[in-house]
Amino acid sequence: MSKWKLHTPEGVQDILINECMIKRDIESRILYTFQSYGYYEVQPPTFEFYDVFAGESGLIEQETMFKFFDHQGRILVLRPDITTPIARIIATKYQEITPPVRLCYIGNAYRYDEPYQGARLREFTQAGIELIGVSSPEADAEVIAVTINSLLTAGLKDFQIDIGQVAFFKGLMEQTGLAEDDIEKLRVLIDSKNSLGIEELLQGYNISPELKEMIISLPSLFGGIDVIEKAEKATVNEISKQALQNLRDVYNILLDYGLEKYISIDLGMVQSINYYTGIIFKGFTHGLGFPVCAGGRYDNLISEFGKNLPATGVAIGINRLLSALDRQKAEFNIWHVDSLISYNEEGRKIAFQIADELRRQGLSIEITLGNHAMDEIIAYAKKNKVDGIIKVLNSNDIELYNLITGDKTATTVSKLLDSGQPEKGEKS
Amino acid sequence: MKYITIAMAKGRLAELSIEIFESIGLNCSEMKEKSRKLIFTDEEHKIKFVLVKASDVPTYVEYGAADIGIVGKDTLLEEGRNLYEMADLKFGVCKMVVAGPGELKGKLDNLNHKRVATKYPRIAKEYFQGKKGQTIEVIKLNGSVELAPLVGLSEVIVDIVESGKTLKENGLVVIEEICDISARLVVNKVSMKMEKDRIMDIVQKIKAKVQEDK
Repeated sequence: MSKWKLHTPEGVQDILINECMIKRDIESRILYTFQSYGYYEVQPPTFEFYDVFAGESGLIEQETMFKFFDHQGRILVLRPDITTPIARIIATKYQEITPPVRLCYIGNAYRYDEPYQGARLREFTQAGIELIGVSSPEADAEVIAVTINSLLTAGLKDFQIDIGQVAFFKGLMEQTGLAEDDIEKLRVLIDSKNSLGIEELLQGYNISPELKEMIISLPSLFGGIDVIEKAEKATVNEISKQALQNLRDVYNILLDYGLEKYISIDLGMVQSINYYTGIIFKGFTHGLGFPVCAGGRYDNLISEFGKNLPATGVAIGINRLLSALDRQKAEFNIWHVDSLISYNEEGRKIAFQIADELRRQGLSIEITLGNHAMDEIIAYAKKNKVDGIIKVLNSNDIELYNLITGDKTATTVSKLLDSGQPEKGEKS
Repeated sequence: MKYITIAMAKGRLAELSIEIFESIGLNCSEMKEKSRKLIFTDEEHKIKFVLVKASDVPTYVEYGAADIGIVGKDTLLEEGRNLYEMADLKFGVCKMVVAGPGELKGKLDNLNHKRVATKYPRIAKEYFQGKKGQTIEVIKLNGSVELAPLVGLSEVIVDIVESGKTLKENGLVVIEEICDISARLVVNKVSMKMEKDRIMDIVQKIKAKVQEDK
């Protein structure tokens, strides 16, 4: 029975002291960035009814959801993403909406991959924003700008955001008149940049040579802004033309944000085309084989819950961001306890008062438990990277040990509290 | 400059891969020496070559442990990984087929209970269940697949066939062809974006070379 008690299941991780410190640090920096752009945080529940995620414009396949039942036999799932619950919230919890609504979240989501593949966690932290009620390119550009600045505040260097527009592909497909099955096959081929496969598939269809050439060239339509120009020259259908114009608008707004150096274009980005309705983007960085964030416009999702509202958003994968930062050797503030207080019995009450006062000043103070010899306490402090020890001898007399210099000084309670901070270490 | 890492399948495919990389001006001399090393470098072009098991090439590339890989289409289909398939290298050419005893030819569809022995369970399932809508029992083997019908382990096999010699010597024939197989150049999706110029340069040169040889 206890065979597994020393192990964690595949796909989940313990996050230990230093890693946890860095994760919290990054999460709060990102949350702060979201808030600085006017996004308010919400917290949907960790599990919900399966029906919430089963909609037609859903992003997540049912095979990847963790499911269980409640006492009435209804199917519940651990949330596979946080955008869908927010769409539900917007449609059901707010009677009157004056767009735009800006919401953000940070929390864990759960997905089940079969077979299990190491780099994909089954429990992972996502931080994201949703900008609801506005369908203009300004909204898409704002989400991308917030994304870039969040990654920058987290300390990520050398990354790029690839932007595509799924309506461009949809327009081309409408023009071909291909059956749905073939469109899906074609989409998969384009998604894997398999030009040869695309050519083979299109051979059997009566499609104009220009259109055929356009579709075959889709996998290579990525890079700088010139990609849009190239595509514009060869595009005839109205939907695709508008999509390119929309992409250009978003790009121009990002120019004014001063963020163009992080942007590139990829018209061959055609994943999740049932979910996304316009702009789609992903963030890439060195040292990580997977995108660090993904987002785009999803104008059909909220209507699944009964309200017709356009929306655009992004989710940043915090665990992936952490591995990228780790591989790029980014530096973080790791804090330690500032001072250790030890006391003789007659000094106990005053020791607690000193500790409270120093904590109020923003220091992290640990109190030794039990009676230990001074050399034991010093060894413990050194091992835990604590720089100073305050030994309270009685209600008046104190000894200060500076473990960096090795100095030992005698002082009094009133002098210590007047001078403020005895051993202030670096603390973020 | 960062190193670009190229993963190659150990064995014959690696030899052919080395040939093509040398033809486009990369230095693979380190790899031709007899040694047990698994990692080699071309310092001039900042390229690392790694030798891995064929079925692991897509894994290395998907996770970004290698930026580029050369691997057979059979492995790609079986592994079903998320990567860019950039070029057909036209070597390692063979066919993925359904083979079995000659008397089954033309009668396979009428067989109610089909046991299929194969090294490629995913390809077998996709072909029979996905494409033909027939339920099969897959028996996963790791080698000498041709033996399975002879000893009654399975009715047919799904395997790659180059000349057909092994099949013939074991009294089996090709019953149905599934698809053509050859070596492919694959690229990690992030690497393609982050190192576009260098990777596209390699891809274009290789494509031109393949075209020229044709």
